[in-house]
Amino acid sequence: MHRSELAKYFKDNLFVANLKARSKESAIAELLDLFVTEKYIRNRDIVLEMLHQRETLGSTGIGKGVAIPHGRTTAASEVLIAFGKTENGIDFDAIDDKPVHLFFMVIAPPNDEGNVYLPILGSLVTILNEKSNRDKLLKVTTFTDFMALIKGE
Amino acid sequence: MVKKDLELLVSLQDIDLMAEEVGEMEKLGFSVSGYSELKKAREELAASISKPLLFRYERLRAKLKRAIVPVKNDICLGCFLRQPTSIGVKGREDEEIFTCENCGRMLYWLD
Ligand SMILES: [Zn+2]
Repeated sequence: MHRSELAKYFKDNLFVANLKARSKESAIAELLDLFVTEKYIRNRDIVLEMLHQRETLGSTGIGKGVAIPHGRTTAASEVLIAFGKTENGIDFDAIDDKPVHLFFMVIAPPNDEGNVYLPILGSLVTILNEKSNRDKLLKVTTFTDFMALIKGE
Repeated sequence: MVKKDLELLVSLQDIDLMAEEVGEMEKLGFSVSGYSELKKAREELAASISKPLLFRYERLRAKLKRAIVPVKNDICLGCFLRQPTSIGVKGREDEEIFTCENCGRMLYWLD
């Protein structure tokens, strides 16, 4: 997926420059709460359960300080991505055991229009594999700067 | 907290949705090393759902792929038939399980 296309799935009300969370559990909850507060999701418990099950399948901490908690749920109607970061890394049982600083939470409905869910995940993984992108993301403070980075501008 | 039948079914379907894409997830580089634990979690969840309801879920899943579909703006997102506004009020409480008269799927209100 092209980066300008990927950018469409972020929202300024799903962006947190400084997460309060200090644990895996609370990081997932804090990001999910953004979706709930903005009324993208009505039933928090159902989606939290799904995200926990996803971590049962394997940690979404993909290494190098990045986690992409994700999943499809019957309780969502559109694909959306929340972004959060923290200077103090969080222990996320990541595959390389390193603390996580960058979080991208991807929530998708059971069937999404144009089947963008997997391409979105693929695109995120590609962007985050590059050290220069991770370094820039760690420094980002505003949604506007963040979006420019995602678009590769 | 006691979970409602509909919530349990939605969680079950969410696990089934996840299991369908395990291969793709692995290709993208995500860890799926806990697949057997996920299957165990699915079994435990299924065991907490009443037999007739679970049977209904499995039958709908076999026939229509998705047993439960979201309703948005009163529209069943399984077949796009408009649902009576009157059932939406009750539907949003997640207490009773409503079925789309057109496609037969169980309904979950999103908004
Ligand atoms: Zn229907």
